[in-house]
Amino acid sequence: MNITIKKQVFMLHPFGSLYWKDKNILLISDLHLGKISHFRKNGLAIPNSAIPKNFEKLNELLDVYQPQKIIFLGDLFHSTLNSEWHYFDNWIQSISQKIILIEGNHDIVAKHHYENLHVEVLESLQIDDFLLTHHPVATETSFNFCGHIHPRVVLTGLGKQYLKIPCYFRKPNQLILPAFGEFTGNYTLKPTPNDKVYVLTPKEVIEVNLV
Amino acid sequence: MNRAALYQIAENWFEAQNWKPFAFQKQTWKAFLQGKNGLLNAPTGSGKTYALWFPIILNYIKQVDEGKIKKQSGLKAIWITPLRALSTEIKQAAERVITDLGVPMTVGIRTGDTSTTERTQQKNKMPDLLITTPESLQLLLGSKNYAQTFAKCTAIVIDEWHELLGSKRGVQMELALSRLKSITQDMRIWGISATIGNLELAQEVLLGKETDAFKNSVLIKANLPKKITVKSILPKKMETYPWRGHMGLHLLDEVVQIIRKSKTTLLFTNTRSQCEIWFQTLLDHYPEFAGEIAMHHGSIAKETRIWVENAIKNEELKLVVCTSSLDLGVDFAPVETIIQVGGPKGVARFLQRAGRSGHQPGKESVIYFLATHAMELIEASALKKAAAETIVEDRIPYLNCYDVLIQYLNTLAVADGFYPNEIFKEIKQTFCYQNISDAEWLWVLNFITKGSQSLQAYDEFKKVEIEANGLFKINNKRIAIQHRMQIGTIVSDAVLNVKFLSGGYIGSIEEWFASKLQRGDTFIFAGRKLEFHSIKNMIVLVKLANGKKESKSVSWMGGRMTFSAQMSELLRQELYKVNQELLTPELKALQPVFERQQKESIIPNDNQLLIESFKTREGYHTIFYPFEGRFVHEALASLLSYRISLLSPISFSLAYNDYGFELLSDQILDLEALFDNNLLSTSHLHDDLQSSLNATEMARRKFRDIAVIAGLVFTGRPGQPVKTKHLQSGSQLLFEVFRDYEPDNLLLRQAYIETFEHQLEEGRLIQALERINNQEIVVKRCEKPTPFSFPIITDRLREKLSSETLAERIAKMTASYLKV
Repeated sequence: MNITIKKQVFMLHPFGSLYWKDKNILLISDLHLGKISHFRKNGLAIPNSAIPKNFEKLNELLDVYQPQKIIFLGDLFHSTLNSEWHYFDNWIQSISQKIILIEGNHDIVAKHHYENLHVEVLESLQIDDFLLTHHPVATETSFNFCGHIHPRVVLTGLGKQYLKIPCYFRKPNQLILPAFGEFTGNYTLKPTPNDKVYVLTPKEVIEVNLV
Repeated sequence: MNRAALYQIAENWFEAQNWKPFAFQKQTWKAFLQGKNGLLNAPTGSGKTYALWFPIILNYIKQVDEGKIKKQSGLKAIWITPLRALSTEIKQAAERVITDLGVPMTVGIRTGDTSTTERTQQKNKMPDLLITTPESLQLLLGSKNYAQTFAKCTAIVIDEWHELLGSKRGVQMELALSRLKSITQDMRIWGISATIGNLELAQEVLLGKETDAFKNSVLIKANLPKKITVKSILPKKMETYPWRGHMGLHLLDEVVQIIRKSKTTLLFTNTRSQCEIWFQTLLDHYPEFAGEIAMHHGSIAKETRIWVENAIKNEELKLVVCTSSLDLGVDFAPVETIIQVGGPKGVARFLQRAGRSGHQPGKESVIYFLATHAMELIEASALKKAAAETIVEDRIPYLNCYDVLIQYLNTLAVADGFYPNEIFKEIKQTFCYQNISDAEWLWVLNFITKGSQSLQAYDEFKKVEIEANGLFKINNKRIAIQHRMQIGTIVSDAVLNVKFLSGGYIGSIEEWFASKLQRGDTFIFAGRKLEFHSIKNMIVLVKLANGKKESKSVSWMGGRMTFSAQMSELLRQELYKVNQELLTPELKALQPVFERQQKESIIPNDNQLLIESFKTREGYHTIFYPFEGRFVHEALASLLSYRISLLSPISFSLAYNDYGFELLSDQILDLEALFDNNLLSTSHLHDDLQSSLNATEMARRKFRDIAVIAGLVFTGRPGQPVKTKHLQSGSQLLFEVFRDYEPDNLLLRQAYIETFEHQLEEGRLIQALERINNQEIVVKRCEKPTPFSFPIITDRLREKLSSETLAERIAKMTASYLKV
């Protein structure tokens, strides 16, 4: 699904990424790498076969869009450094794209680890009329791309049907990206009449009817 | 000292009290002193405590007399009680005998309420007799040198075994006993159980299948006749009886009349919120009761609960509004009357509550039943019959609980470590794990040492380590502490403590309720109107609220109970009588409702299955009335909706109660197709049920509890929730990651098996389907909801099942705007 913001075209993917066509940039938020390993290190046996999945999804996106740059909108790594860093390291070595991390509240891994991998770490980033942050921010002048919330919406229908489903949440001046990582939770947002909601299904991104 | 001399000591003591020992007490003394194990079937208030304290003490006297033991040589006997509240009373009974006989024994209590200081003192020097809970016993097995603590133990008594039997706490006891058998030389195992349908099985579960302990055991029955009278509370005018609801407050005035006539009354409600609301409403309408009535439920501060219990004993209270927290044990002699609000769902529970009045051998028990909605009056009628015919239910023991086993092995690993071969032999002797295979055992060991994964690069999983000599041990201090905090098999939602801003602990409420509160909101809790201030350090801070302000009542999640098979059978018999002229007072009172039902639909006979269909604003409702109890209906609804969904894409919302179930959809249901395709057949039942389970969320909910017990979720201790945010995960998320990445995980499999065996009860389902297939199906297309359908269609606790694609469903749905 494609959307246009300030005359720029952005492509939404069922995995939850945002591809900025003119700039050839792939935006991804809330990957929470290392979460499963963090649990396992503390004696909670979450299946570690889920770990490679994040990288398989990332590689698939690189194939689809062939971006020049990848920008992570925060919470790239879930906690302190653990063995999952090796996977990340290997993945970075295997790709040619430039990587930028906008720092999130979970990103407590020391900066020099990223610098060693030539990942640039920033607090926020302004590109033309667009402001990229981790936490949602209110700005008068720019359009804000952010993450942090892990948004989902609740849909209801006849026959007491309801669904809770992760989404991109678009406000007049802001787009909140869904959480990309496997094994990350969600938080329910309620739209106002000025908002738009695009939900993720396995095959496509669908805009939701609002009433 | 010979046995005769020992009996004489006991008989003299009874004589001094002006009592005469019952036959069952003497039989128990004899069997115990002969070195036998056993199960004693005796009701509360019958003197069962003396049936077992006496031989324990007599055995001690004998051993000291024979010079076999020295005085003061440590733990002699353990008394397990499922409820902490009972421990004081059990202690008093023991101390009374000890003092009177002048035996130098000490009695101690060790439960979650015991202070750290006292626990440390106990560790240094155990009392002779220890009263404790299944969880605290596990904690003792999780401490260093535990084998030494128990070495000289001569007896373990498991009180209220029927309560533990059908739960995972029972499994926890089976495991503890399997260990204690190995580390003691001369220990008798005794259970005490109220009457249940399967006492012989209860004895086998307690002692282990085909074990020496079982072979050397007896079953002793007290056989004390107990007269129970059941009365229904009926209003003067039935026309106004509500069709739905679960409060029963419309009969408040009638209840007050009953309370006034009696010295002390216990009013049992089924939930804690109901308890709060009844208490508050009584005070609002009858302020003169202030000071004479109290409330008792599990979330109220311990001090308050103890105060209430003592006040009942001292005859200071006219009424206590309570929940199952007062179901067991404590001897409340002054209680004359019991009122049950809402269906108790099981015969045993109802009779047990009835037994709380006239709580002395030979006295009559009176229980009033208050039906909260019209249909429940049929239940009242059925319960009367149950009491008259003393019908009792079975308790079904659990099999192959991998979650409890994993917790137990971690407990042993925290203590001194364990050698797998030794422990495997022990657990194979238990009832629960009699069929565990070598492969399953290996999986469990792999799970605790490697996090169940085979070789994977960079894995840092840490829990149980295998030492060079083959000892399985937890060495990491943090993991050990974490495990000790989580020992137990009762899984509840996270709770937060409630405190006054000015200090003073009131009780605990569930986190999800607390999270809905905003500053200034008022809510009723522990009988007080409180104003929410803030949540700080995981504590809910409140102050007393202005009395006039509108307030919410605290609600708790908690599972719903279902009718037992026996209760469903009774209920059907009662209902089918409606079409005959043999009406009980309850059924007579229901006449206006039945007339209304007959006008819109029919009241089925025993050879008819009624199906009603009608349309409302919510969609197309189809209601089936098999009268088989909630769990069977849950299974039937899933099965049927699954089979229908295979015919064409459709989405359902399912609801059920003890009378029937509803399939609600946005499409008209083609009932002809349903019969043409023989959708109620028993063929492929197991596979279809399994598939429907995957489509609904039942197993998912079971998995959450299993994950907590097995230590896959870090919950912290009740009231001291997790502070480590980075280790939290939603239960939904957890289920999905296992389903997608580790479908063979035994814990995941257990979730499905438990849903089948303990919730869906496949066996009962087959019987129900066979019955239905011999019935005539009567389809009634109604104009509007009928009295029978009303409690079902208004139920908000629902399951869903769909065969439409996500995109199809989203297209038909909307997200509603935030109301600004």
